[in-house]
Amino acid sequence: MEKKELPRLAFFSFTCCEGCQLVVLSCEDELPDILSLVKIVNFREAMDQKSDVYDIAFVEGSITKAEEVRKLKKIRKNARVVVALGACSSTGGLNCLKNRWPMEEVKKEVYGKDALRSELFATLPTRAIDEIIQVDYYLHGCPISKKEFLNLTTSLLLGKRPDTTNHPVCVDCKMAGNTCVFEKDMTCVGPITRAGCDAICVTYGAICWGCRGLVDNPNTDAHAETLKRHGLTADAVMRKFSLYGTCKTRKC
Amino acid sequence: MKNIEFFRYLPGAAKAKSASGLKKLVNTLLKEHRVYGTVKRDGFPVYAEIADASELELFSTPTHLSAKQFLFPPRETLLRYDIRRHLHEAVIESERQAIIGLHPCDIHAIALMDEVWAYGRPDANYLSRREKTLIVGADCMPDEYCFCKSLGTMNVNDGFDIFLHKIKKGFLVRTASDKGEEIIAGLKLREAKPYEVKELEERERLREASFKARLDALPKDLPEVFASSNESTVWERIGSICTGCGSCNTVCPTCYCFDIKDEVKASLSEGERVRVWDGCTLEDFAKVAGGHDFRKTRAERLRHRFNRKFRYLTDRFGMPFCVGCGRCSRACLVKINITEVTNELIRESNKRRP
Repeated sequence: MEKKELPRLAFFSFTCCEGCQLVVLSCEDELPDILSLVKIVNFREAMDQKSDVYDIAFVEGSITKAEEVRKLKKIRKNARVVVALGACSSTGGLNCLKNRWPMEEVKKEVYGKDALRSELFATLPTRAIDEIIQVDYYLHGCPISKKEFLNLTTSLLLGKRPDTTNHPVCVDCKMAGNTCVFEKDMTCVGPITRAGCDAICVTYGAICWGCRGLVDNPNTDAHAETLKRHGLTADAVMRKFSLYGTCKTRKC
Repeated sequence: MKNIEFFRYLPGAAKAKSASGLKKLVNTLLKEHRVYGTVKRDGFPVYAEIADASELELFSTPTHLSAKQFLFPPRETLLRYDIRRHLHEAVIESERQAIIGLHPCDIHAIALMDEVWAYGRPDANYLSRREKTLIVGADCMPDEYCFCKSLGTMNVNDGFDIFLHKIKKGFLVRTASDKGEEIIAGLKLREAKPYEVKELEERERLREASFKARLDALPKDLPEVFASSNESTVWERIGSICTGCGSCNTVCPTCYCFDIKDEVKASLSEGERVRVWDGCTLEDFAKVAGGHDFRKTRAERLRHRFNRKFRYLTDRFGMPFCVGCGRCSRACLVKINITEVTNELIRESNKRRP
């Protein structure tokens, strides 16, 4: 029997901490099975080889440089399927915070005033990858969830539609048996944030910061009112919404 | 006066500390059951597994989440398969369990769930779990959201195995099943004294007078109220502030909607079919193939949920599917309150009447 060529996977990384690639690498129990079904041809965090021939591209990180825009467009051209891997890539993530200030000011703040004279520090306002190319699937989160990565990968390999989550974190939170953070005199953005994370932050005593971005059709006005009722000023509400959501709440 | 023969006396406080009768009861249950009960966590009463009797604490106020998770888990495996080996097997995970601290509304809710899961094609997973479940009820005091009195679910005479009524020094115990009777008989409790039963009656009078929330119509009139309220502006108004977080569904002891998903292992040949909670107030609930959506707006979704509680399921099962626990109102961050909304519709409906 003729050996069928395995689908080729590539992982790319732009502006980010590469933590989402680490989540992929942490799928130790499943990777042997996955590696028998696919060929990984690019994965900077894990191997040296590189190739421009691939079927599925997982793209991590947000876009903050002109050079990244060119590279990203090339990836779109080469790949049949593009997956945004993690918050930076899918919504712009934390990196979008810098968009609140003029780029010159950001450069000066981070690299010192000499940076303004050097080409090396050229920077653009942060963008999610779908502001530049068409994205087929999204893996949200800071970092991504292992479960969702595996679900997406197995679904693509089987040719079925991946399971996408479009309910707010409150659902995952109740399913985890948590007491609502608002009951505990804290506030969060769970009611408008896309779940799929099993409400891990609240389960371990923190709050929802909104790392997975907004649900489709969020009622942000209603939640802003809730936050104000719980003592937040309008400015504090905006800060809460924009920690992970600047790119999506205020188009850059 | 209540029939004194129904009650026996169990000494001890609401916390199952040393030497209390409650501790004896929990220890007896622990021998043959996985035991769940109310405990205090982050300052709030919640249901949790009880490994040691001392963890249990009975509360007069309701838990935020209902106890449905023990009969209808947020996530459960229904089927396991391996296509390479042409294998598939149904999975029914159930074990003997006892739930301690259920208030009358919660016990009524379980009775409704029993109806639902046995209706049509009986659900083997729920029924198997239910059959192995022992229910120990405890009485309560209404908080600002409780309105069981308006729905006839304030008291229970069956649907539990053991029921604990708190009195000043200890509990008066009732049983409503052979299993419950056997366990209580094993504890060799003395009969209740007339003054103890009198104290219980006094407490019940106080409880009945303590309700702050109420419905302004009888349960039997509610289906008609909702049937005539489709065009009410109430729906638009609450729809505009709803975030669609689904908490009213997830905390409700009688909401039983679920989704079924196939989860494939990385080998692509093995997998599991799982059932997870779903809720009619969630954006994607009524979306079907082709992108069609039967209930496109939050207003329509809320209207549907209210109708499920007071009309659609009442038509099918003959009783309201709300037990008045008030959990949905308590959990709602935008303060959509089930009694206030219903009373507004009742007022509108009364006005429409000739």
